[in-house]
Amino acid sequence: MAIFSNFAVNQATNPMQSHFQFSSTKSLEQVSTRTLSLIASAAFFLLFLVLFSFISLFTTPITPAYAQTATLTPQQVVEYALTLEKLEDDFYRRAVRATQNGGLKNAPKLAKDVIANYGRDEAQHVVDLSAVLTSLGGNPAAITIPANPNYTAIKGRNPFANIKDFLLALQYVEDLGVSAYKGQVQNLQASGNDTILAGALEIHTIEARHAAGIRYLRQELLDADIRPWIRRANEVVYNENKKGFPIDFADAAFDGFSTRDEVLALVGPILNPTSTQRSGERSSPSALEGSITQEDCPAGTTLELVSGGYICKP
Amino acid sequence: MTLQTELTEKAVASRRKLLKWGLLGVGAAVLATVPKPLMAQTSSSLTLTFNANDIGILNFALLLEELESAFYVAAVKSGKVRDPQEREYLRVLGIHEATHVTFLRKVLGSNVIFQTNDLSFRRSGLNALLKDRDTILKTAVSLEDTGVHAYNGAGTLLTDPTYILAAGSIVSVEARHAAGVRALLKRPVTELDRERSVSNANLDPSINPLKGRAYDELYTPKQIVQIVGSLKLINNPINGALVS
Repeated sequence: MAIFSNFAVNQATNPMQSHFQFSSTKSLEQVSTRTLSLIASAAFFLLFLVLFSFISLFTTPITPAYAQTATLTPQQVVEYALTLEKLEDDFYRRAVRATQNGGLKNAPKLAKDVIANYGRDEAQHVVDLSAVLTSLGGNPAAITIPANPNYTAIKGRNPFANIKDFLLALQYVEDLGVSAYKGQVQNLQASGNDTILAGALEIHTIEARHAAGIRYLRQELLDADIRPWIRRANEVVYNENKKGFPIDFADAAFDGFSTRDEVLALVGPILNPTSTQRSGERSSPSALEGSITQEDCPAGTTLELVSGGYICKP
Repeated sequence: MTLQTELTEKAVASRRKLLKWGLLGVGAAVLATVPKPLMAQTSSSLTLTFNANDIGILNFALLLEELESAFYVAAVKSGKVRDPQEREYLRVLGIHEATHVTFLRKVLGSNVIFQTNDLSFRRSGLNALLKDRDTILKTAVSLEDTGVHAYNGAGTLLTDPTYILAAGSIVSVEARHAAGVRALLKRPVTELDRERSVSNANLDPSINPLKGRAYDELYTPKQIVQIVGSLKLINNPINGALVS
């Protein structure tokens, strides 16, 4: 639970927010916006508490098989994976821009190469998962993310401002990606669709390679107390050490998993339409300002909220 | 249902599973092409027979973990890797692999088909992999990359939900290992197509919907046996429906 309180505390002591406050006229409106966002953070934290106490009830062993909960169809899994991949892709694209003329401009070449290479992999995942979704009868264009996702929610400040913050945020993102794919292997196995299962497995370990590469960079460039593998639960934002399984997830030799609900709850603040983006990295002025509405959905689709994430349902 | 018809139905079902992987027709031919040294060593070392079911797959995974584990112990002991960070990585990777061995043996229980000391290591093969620091780290990358492809390949074969979750929780750690050692060598963390032991043409298309640098392709157990065989690490003959 400590990781989630960290997550919430980071938001509450958001230095960008204070900066924002000092550099602008202190209007009553802004103060109340800030108060509201603090209340929202607290509410999210409470929601996590409630959600996880419930989940822990259900993760007790269901003999003979140990289930990961929430049955999803292959199409639902691909839609969910594509949402995450689009978000990762967008995150890397902004990072690439920041290496050209932003906060990451002076980052070491090793880091810039990593951003370019891993970003290319995620872009490939978006292209190929889109084709997979189409082959399943789904509509990849209907899977959308906000024009300006609220990435400040990850660390409580602009992740693209400096290499230190960026690599830690990226580590959180990649490790969460690994656990998210792992969280779907039982669903895909049960569906009997070996093609989709194979595709998910093929991506799952690439995310793990990325996560390990970022962790290595943090050790190498920043002298961070981190290794390519997960030594402590507080290195990740999801619940790494799930109990009630015959697998010792707390051991560094075994990686934990996350359910879709858990992942969407964690990325919810990034996709959250009520929080105004405070980052200076706003790439293009948008009417959306970090939110998505029905207007963002292609014709013939309906905006639908799925546990903190949004999809445009055909 | 008589026992006989039940057995026949089971045989048909398992043959169907094999047919799905396109293995039945070539099974006999492949057995004949197993490298000579492997076939010749019948007197001294235990033959490892892997069945085409979950138990066979877990035993096969155990073999890979045993090889990795033994390699890292020998690599650290060799004294050829002197850099503290590199030594630490090798030592920790060895601990992880040993943990996987213990875990798989516990899960398999009485279904385990070999004990650690049943494995007959080839001193010459092992020594060649321990020649110097570069060879050791390159071998570590090969072993870890192979492990990733092997576990991924096992993914679509496993039928038990707990086993696939376990395999998933292990394979991403193998991928972290591969990436970590690749990073030590200043190599990209993902595998280039030309680095792969199995070329695009030889990948089983039915289990590889995606190919290329952004993906870790699925290798069949038979392909893994060929890769492991080329390392000349053990004398034990390997056979069984899973790898034929």
